[in-house]
Amino acid sequence: MSSKESYRVELRSAARQLSDRCLYSAAKWAAELLIDIEPDAHAPASSASSSAASARATPSTSSAARPLSHLHPDASAYRRRLRSAAASGDIAATPPAGVSYISTPVPDDDGFNSDGGNDRYLLAKSYFDCREYRRAAHTLRGQTGKKAGFLRCYALYLAGEKRKEEEMIELDGSLGKSDVVNSELISLERELSSLRRIGSIDSFGLYLYGLILKDKGCESLAVTVFVESVNSFPWNWSAWSELQSLCTNTDTLTKLNLKNHWMKDFFLASAYQELKMHEEALKRYECLLGVFRSSDYIQSQIATALYSLRELDEAEVIFEDLLRNDPYRVESMDIYSNLLYAKECFSALSFLAHRVFLTDKYRPESCCIIANYYSLKGQHEKSVLYFRRALKLNRKYLSAWTLMGHEYVEMKNTPAAIDAYRRAIEINPRDYRAWYGLGQTYEVMNMPFYALYYFRKSSCLQPNDSRLWVAMAQCYESAPLQMLEEAIKCYTRAANSNDSEGIALHQLAKLHGVLGHSEQAAFFYKKDLERMEAEGRQGPNMVEAMLYLARYYKSEKKFEEAEFYCTRLLDYTGPERETAKSLLRGLRIAQTAFPSMDIGHFGS
Amino acid sequence: MAGGGSLKEGGSPVFDITPHKIAVCHLVQVFALHTQPDMPFAFQSISQHHRLGLFLFSLTRSCESFLDPSLEELLNQLKALGGLAMLSEHLISNLLVLSSPDDLFNFFDKLRGVLAAPEGSSMEEEQTLLDPNSHLGIFIRCCILTFNMLPFEGVCHLLTNLVAYCNSNDSTYEMAEDDDFNGSEFHELLEDPEVYCEAAEFEEYGLENDAQAAENLTHIPSKFLSSFLEDNQASDDPRIKHGDGGSQSGGLIPLLNNNFRTDDNLGVLRSRWQIEGYLNMQADLLEKDAISFPLYSFSATLRQLQKLAPELHRARYLQYLNALYHNDYLSALDELHCYFDYSAGMEGLFSRSPSPSSEFEVGRYETALLCLGTLQCHFGHPKKALEALTEAVRISQQNNDDSCLAYTLAAICKLLSEIGISNMTGIIGSPYSLGTTTGLGTPLSTQQQLLVLLKRSLERADHLKLTNLLAFNHLALAKFDLKASSYYLFSHVKKPLLSFGPKASMKLRTCPTSVCRELRLSSHVLSEFGADGLLQLNDTGAFSTSWLKNVSAVGNPWLKKLQKPRSLSVNDYDTFQFYAQPNPMPGSVLQLAGASYLLRATSWEHYGSAPLVRMNALVYATCFADAASSSELSLAYVKLIQHLSVFKGYTEAFNALKLAEDKFSVSSTHIRLLKLQLLHERALHRGNLQEAQQVCDQFGVLASSVTGVDMELKTEASLRHARTLLAANQFSQAAAVASNLFCTCYKFNMQVENATVLLLLAEIHKKSGDAVLGLSYVLASLSFCKTFNLDLLEASATVTLAELWLSLGSSHAKKASSLIYQALPMILGHGGLELRARANIAVAKCLLADPSYLVSEDPDAVLDPLSQASEELQILEYHEMAAEAFYLMAIIFNSLGRLDERENAAASFKKHVIALENPQDEDNLPTHGV
Repeated sequence: MSSKESYRVELRSAARQLSDRCLYSAAKWAAELLIDIEPDAHAPASSASSSAASARATPSTSSAARPLSHLHPDASAYRRRLRSAAASGDIAATPPAGVSYISTPVPDDDGFNSDGGNDRYLLAKSYFDCREYRRAAHTLRGQTGKKAGFLRCYALYLAGEKRKEEEMIELDGSLGKSDVVNSELISLERELSSLRRIGSIDSFGLYLYGLILKDKGCESLAVTVFVESVNSFPWNWSAWSELQSLCTNTDTLTKLNLKNHWMKDFFLASAYQELKMHEEALKRYECLLGVFRSSDYIQSQIATALYSLRELDEAEVIFEDLLRNDPYRVESMDIYSNLLYAKECFSALSFLAHRVFLTDKYRPESCCIIANYYSLKGQHEKSVLYFRRALKLNRKYLSAWTLMGHEYVEMKNTPAAIDAYRRAIEINPRDYRAWYGLGQTYEVMNMPFYALYYFRKSSCLQPNDSRLWVAMAQCYESAPLQMLEEAIKCYTRAANSNDSEGIALHQLAKLHGVLGHSEQAAFFYKKDLERMEAEGRQGPNMVEAMLYLARYYKSEKKFEEAEFYCTRLLDYTGPERETAKSLLRGLRIAQTAFPSMDIGHFGS
Repeated sequence: MAGGGSLKEGGSPVFDITPHKIAVCHLVQVFALHTQPDMPFAFQSISQHHRLGLFLFSLTRSCESFLDPSLEELLNQLKALGGLAMLSEHLISNLLVLSSPDDLFNFFDKLRGVLAAPEGSSMEEEQTLLDPNSHLGIFIRCCILTFNMLPFEGVCHLLTNLVAYCNSNDSTYEMAEDDDFNGSEFHELLEDPEVYCEAAEFEEYGLENDAQAAENLTHIPSKFLSSFLEDNQASDDPRIKHGDGGSQSGGLIPLLNNNFRTDDNLGVLRSRWQIEGYLNMQADLLEKDAISFPLYSFSATLRQLQKLAPELHRARYLQYLNALYHNDYLSALDELHCYFDYSAGMEGLFSRSPSPSSEFEVGRYETALLCLGTLQCHFGHPKKALEALTEAVRISQQNNDDSCLAYTLAAICKLLSEIGISNMTGIIGSPYSLGTTTGLGTPLSTQQQLLVLLKRSLERADHLKLTNLLAFNHLALAKFDLKASSYYLFSHVKKPLLSFGPKASMKLRTCPTSVCRELRLSSHVLSEFGADGLLQLNDTGAFSTSWLKNVSAVGNPWLKKLQKPRSLSVNDYDTFQFYAQPNPMPGSVLQLAGASYLLRATSWEHYGSAPLVRMNALVYATCFADAASSSELSLAYVKLIQHLSVFKGYTEAFNALKLAEDKFSVSSTHIRLLKLQLLHERALHRGNLQEAQQVCDQFGVLASSVTGVDMELKTEASLRHARTLLAANQFSQAAAVASNLFCTCYKFNMQVENATVLLLLAEIHKKSGDAVLGLSYVLASLSFCKTFNLDLLEASATVTLAELWLSLGSSHAKKASSLIYQALPMILGHGGLELRARANIAVAKCLLADPSYLVSEDPDAVLDPLSQASEELQILEYHEMAAEAFYLMAIIFNSLGRLDERENAAASFKKHVIALENPQDEDNLPTHGV
């Protein structure tokens, strides 16, 4: 049995077990992955596509989430064809050398001894599927099996969560929301911890226990419990992603004691991405792509990473491809819309917005895409409306808070903008965009000194981002503060961290010029000039640089260099040309005034 | 989202209805309807009834915590009121009856009957109904209204909470009943007729207007209150002990108690008004005495509050204050920014009440900058502080925020005056040096700028009726006048070396009368607080809180013990009164008023009137200790102890210092400095030069190493160094140090110090025997003293002058004695022991040097001053001069032939000389032995 076949077996059984326990999204994830495994190399491409198509035809769990997908068989067939064509050129994927995965046996489902128990479970699951959680839990009372026990606890937990959401709205008092907690947490925690102590808990129970611990704020214990859970049953993606949300820095990540299962690669890649280690994440994903050749999930993650690395064009190609393969996809399409926003593709963005609107308009991502579209159109009020809707659907939607802050800034509603940014920070204190936004808002309000605090915060989180340093430098440079020394320090940082817009070098040159450090000024003007030449740009900065250099070399008595820049200046129109001409004239006179220089000149 | 938040804040109901409020409503019902026949509960006396009324009033206003008290606490408080055990049972049974939504509806329906019908309808006799406009009436109406506005979900929640509220009591209720016999016991005590006849006085005030009644309580004879207190001591409830044991200690233990309580999951918030009152109180306490607030536990409490009420941003402000007073720079900065980001400066930092939400769109971030400036100032970053404050000025001008502008200007003034003249130069211009022309960058212009700023701020404050600020500005101006001795030398700078020393004709304002004039203006402003009706605005419910605390605290004898060591934050006179009823004046006002007394003391200190210094410091320490921050209070104590050391000798001063050290934390810089000063003086007098030098070195270490900072401390250190060298007879070194010091003082325009240093130089030359050189120095010093109204220093310089003349030969004795007689009134009236002794010895020496005077004719003319001097010097343990006095006495007795007395004097002389030579075994010697 090839390794791919074993992957398939594992995933197939895992998806079944997960969906049996009503862990829908994990089941969906596993089933998607199952489909995405590259067909074995010995099989001809055409048969692979047909087998894949047949696999598609069997109702998968994911169809429950997106009921429309099987109504469009044409689209999926089209997609298959494209995919296999794209894949045929690649080498057969094998796990990278040197990595040996530990094979984890797929645990057997604990069978029910009596038919009665099984029937009860069936009824409970039906209730659960109809979202009658308390009823499901009630049906399962007194059942002893691990599976029944899990479903009962899980149903109780969800019932508590549902009630919590309701109460949150009901109890919206005069001082804001009261501190609502899931009322089932305490009893569930007691039960699960005692089960864990006596060892009669399976990985699903551990997953639930971890969830409860996380809600209660016992994060370190939650991490251990999640690790236990994924080590015994690695295919539960929900457990992995909960674990990942608890790894807020690389230290906790490296300290995790994880078995070396191939699911760990998915986990690490996604964790790296969250920790802004995009290169590492890309590397992992590319390895995984060897096995899961056509995985949409991996593709979308790669595209997201590329977008974060500002590789917009490459990311766009992947997103387009994704959308072509799976036209009803909503996940990670908000990133795509951000990308289109950054590239100012009006029609593509409107097309995307229309598409997700038809698919499911009450998804936070959909609202965010629509809001992005309005924002691009300059209709900020409408944009805010849709961001608000997105946030109502998911209060912890980080990027929506930040983007809404940007909208408020555009609308000049600074207090609202600040509030929105603050809430983003509340969700993730390491979100440098929100800190940057706060700084910008205060800068707009003409409070540069106050804004410095925020820029400092954001550059602390993202020390290699030249934009942040430039923003800070501009604050120092601004009229009320006039702290030029500090501004120079910041611009130097920006210039050292690959300033793509080239502001830093020019400003450095200018500031040194103002402070009378002519040597440094000339150095930076020259550097700036070289950069502009390398990038093939033209503009007023170039003229300014050349003029300064010409004057500087003249004053330094390096007439040849001065002449070089003056003659270059003659190519431009405008007043600088005249200045260059007069400079040249002055140069000639100066040169003749120094006979020793002339002799040297003639001698050579 | 912020917009939504503000709407919620502005248009919300006054509070949420909670189980505790239902209980209070029920009690109000009992209180109001007690005469009706169907009421199962009857009051035993009218005073009991009134006490209940007062209790209910306080309950609805107190703000000791942000959470509703549990039923158990409520019952305990009821029990402490005395004789209301029946009422407790009645309350519980009635609360337990409420088990379905319909019961609640009926309860509130019935509650409506408590309120009297509005005007017009006839009152039925024998019925005390509540006036709908009284405090309790409004409370009941709010409850009814809030209940009526509740959706059905809300009613369900209320019911759930009510069950939890009643259950929380179940476990402890039995125990409470066991204590009942105690209650009856002290109930008997309460029936003591004497108490009642005095209680009747109190009842006359009536309770139609509850607010009136509550205020009247402050006027009740303390005798009644204390007897009331003693009577209630019989009730001895462990729960109260535990719960309110710390209420005296700056509200610390109640906080911990709150944390503890949340485990019962009864986190029900009080009304917004009460929570804000609680926060304001905590802010005041924090400022007064930060040490009693452990950083982490208090911030945990605040976090809990934040979690319960995320829209209440003021908790974040408290977080900021907490971090600030615990010197946690980073988190203070974070919390400050966080608070202003959320509140957009709209929570009204100045008025302490939310400002109308209509202007919300703008946001008032100038306040944030102002706070940032003060934060930076607090942490000693004057440059950053100045940047922030200038930005604040800019933004408040831009936003037309006049009051913030006024406050900012005041803050800048404070900053400029605090970082002082010297290191401003680093900020504004090049360091000032002698001889340069006055430009914008010189320190003097900074001071001028400061004056202009102060005047501007004053005008604005006057215009905007910001009473607090007005008072502050007057104080600042007074302070400015006080410092003016150093700053008012504009003409002097222009022609620096033309005349040595200032010109006498210059008009100076250091004189205490002008300082006091400013101060009077400020206290006049403060008295307007009463008249303006500003009092209502600032009423934070502190009164009710402390009333409730006292109700719980009575009858816990050990609580009183616990209170003793905490007396730091309590006025001394409170011991005579019913614990510490808070002063109706807002704390900030009191603080300002107190500061004026400290300033007065300082101004008299400069002028040289010791008794007035002592009086003002005493007034401060006794009357304003309540509101004072610990550093200011310690300053007052320092002044008092200094006075003691100068007038009563070191033994007493050290005793007092020990008390002060117990009272304040060891870290108090004022106290630490004082200790060093005292140690140095004593070591010098005893001749223990090694120790003196050590203390001197410690002084130097205390000062910051940055040039230009801590100038006063640095000058004092080198002054003391020079004096130590002088005592060691190393004249040239001493002179070098002193002249160096003079240069520094001259450079930084420290004129008072100039005069002192010149006098010291004169002393050095006097001791080294170069009287002529000494004369020129002492004359220079005298001219400084005259110009700056430094009267006591002038007297001291005069004595030195006389001594110098005397050392030039007997022909100058007449002149010397006339000089001394000129200075004597000042010296005898205000001078300390040392100065008096010196003057007395000088008088004797003058007479002895005078050829026309014969000892045998009038021996008492010399012996009297000498014996006086010797006594005073012995108290001071000033061996060198005491030996001199005894030596003179011995010679005189010898010439008079009084041999026994001569032997005595000689023995004393010997003793002092030996002590001077062996300073190490000083401590074995008796301090007052002749």
